[in-house]
Amino acid sequence: MANHTLLLVDDDRDVLEMLSSIFRRAGYTDLLTATSGNEALALWREKNPAMIVLDVTMPDRDGFSVLKEIRRTSRVPVLMLTARGEAEDRIEGLETGADDYLAKPFLPKELILRVSAILGRVYPDTQEVVALAHASVDLANAEAIRDGKRIALTAKEMQLFTKLYQNAGRIVTTGALCQTICGDYWQGYESTLSTHIRHLREKIEENPSKPVSLITVKGLGYRLMLKENAR
Amino acid sequence: MNAIQRFFRRYIISTVGIILLFFCVNIALFFAVLLVGSASGSESSFSVQVFSDHLSPQGSTWIIDDTGLRMLEENQAWAMLLDPSGTVVWEHALPENLPRSYTSAEVASFSRWYLEDYPVKVWGEPDGGLLVIGFPPRSWIKYYYALEQPYLTVLCGGSVAVFLSNLLLVVFLILRNTRKVEKAMTPILQGIQDVSQGKAEPLQERGELAEICTGLNRAAAYMRQKDNTRAEWIRGISHDIRTPLSMVLGYASELEENESLPRDARTQAGIIRREGEKIKQLISDLNLTTKLEYALQPIHPTELDLVELCRQAVSEVINNGLPVQYELTFTAAQPGRVLWLHGDENLLLRMLENLIRNSIVHNPQGCKIRVSAGVECEQYVCCIADSGTGLSPSGIALLNNGQGLPTTQNGSADCEHGLGLKLVVQIAKAHNARIQYASSDPHGLTVKVFFPVQNG
Repeated sequence: MANHTLLLVDDDRDVLEMLSSIFRRAGYTDLLTATSGNEALALWREKNPAMIVLDVTMPDRDGFSVLKEIRRTSRVPVLMLTARGEAEDRIEGLETGADDYLAKPFLPKELILRVSAILGRVYPDTQEVVALAHASVDLANAEAIRDGKRIALTAKEMQLFTKLYQNAGRIVTTGALCQTICGDYWQGYESTLSTHIRHLREKIEENPSKPVSLITVKGLGYRLMLKENAR
Repeated sequence: MNAIQRFFRRYIISTVGIILLFFCVNIALFFAVLLVGSASGSESSFSVQVFSDHLSPQGSTWIIDDTGLRMLEENQAWAMLLDPSGTVVWEHALPENLPRSYTSAEVASFSRWYLEDYPVKVWGEPDGGLLVIGFPPRSWIKYYYALEQPYLTVLCGGSVAVFLSNLLLVVFLILRNTRKVEKAMTPILQGIQDVSQGKAEPLQERGELAEICTGLNRAAAYMRQKDNTRAEWIRGISHDIRTPLSMVLGYASELEENESLPRDARTQAGIIRREGEKIKQLISDLNLTTKLEYALQPIHPTELDLVELCRQAVSEVINNGLPVQYELTFTAAQPGRVLWLHGDENLLLRMLENLIRNSIVHNPQGCKIRVSAGVECEQYVCCIADSGTGLSPSGIALLNNGQGLPTTQNGSADCEHGLGLKLVVQIAKAHNARIQYASSDPHGLTVKVFFPVQNG
């Protein structure tokens, strides 16, 4: 992730400085900053950053207008970071084409997680291998690797694993997982989910009946623990 | 039937009652006048028939007894008896100027009217004679009224019809006028009610009461403007505080995670970060509660499963970091059953998270928090029960009566019962949900949110 160039746009230089500090600490070293909409557009055209963190309220032109200009020719991911936290502002931002919308005040950890998630989604690491306690998962080839053996994951198992991996360490509810594999009308598919989870565990756990990577959170859902967090 | 309709119904009934009372009183007064009038005359009406019983023939002349004489004296009356030919055959106190013989025409005339200004009463004797009693002039008034039978029938029937028509007309006019007033007043009264509840719709400014409607519209507009100004002010303040607070949170987090800093400094940075998060939550709550209060928050209802909603709320709280002294669990009372709700997902999640966080904030020593969803009393219910210190019975009674708890700020923001529960109540109200507070067994607080079951 450190290789991605981020363009940070905010008319408040103090905020820009703080954002730069937060991203540097999180490992993003290639940072561009702009204090106005026009400067942001110029930098975007010149440097072609991997992602833009964009303020809305700026003196020359607002963030929505900048985003509209960008969206005329580019799908570069944009996260709107603004003090305008009203629902209608969020809707306008997302409708204009923002990939995410975060209202100030924000927690640095939340900002980093959101940016990482967007970058991971837009620029998937085709070579990425997710390390678990007793296995690893090759995302590009949809395979679990355990004891040197490569075991193919089905499409549903891969969908489930990706969803859990995107929220690694966090509880993902039964409904959210069912929705991932069955769509919006997922009610009644809980037993199907259990079956897929069981098959997935057989592929990534040493002892599927005592899972350490794909953990059941009783009554709520499941949680994927990566290797450094595996209990 | 609302209060306004009840008021006008009572008004109509009381008006009809007043009319009936009016007629009853008038009839009573009429008979009273008749009674008083009859009582104002002589004590007993002079009866010629009775008098004739005291006049008796004796040979060729007539004799009157003492009672007959007394009757005449009491009435200052005179008397005469005519034979069939019209000649006076007996008299008593007969004025000198009166004739002593009468033709048939004269008899017919005075028996109907007066005899030389003397009002008279007559009585036919069995032998064909005529007993005439005369009274002092102006002591009696005589009428003669003769009508044909059909005309009298029509007159009587017509009088009753006129009376009833008048009665019906009066009732009809009162009802019509009342309806007219009701029609004009109802929107105004409704407008006043709406203004009192802060949800006034503009009234049509026409008709006789247009001025009142204009005034009400002006009052409503003024209140709306005031509400908007207040909401805008809060929004502006919270907007202006967002960027500085971002700096506080950002740098505090940086310092907290900076391992090159002394432990104490990092701890203090952590405290700043946590307090900053509380301010962030407070701003967010303040904004939302203001918008709900002034109906500025649009509700975006969708079909939701209450069970999954509870799962998401509980998961969110756990995912955001739950201190070790708390145990938070969720149970579906009827696993596999979908509890469909029609509501705003974000608002309902906010409500459930607020209730869970309420248990956390008010029990800093730690507690078990059990969240469940199911069906109770034919309603969907979400229950949040903790094993913390709970509330006093009076506090629970206050909450159940819809009154917020008084702020118990004692220097610690943790102890404030403020916007969190207010938001819960507002969001529940927006979803027609009912909240019930109770004590947990053996201690703690149980909050149940009842949602109406969706039909179809």
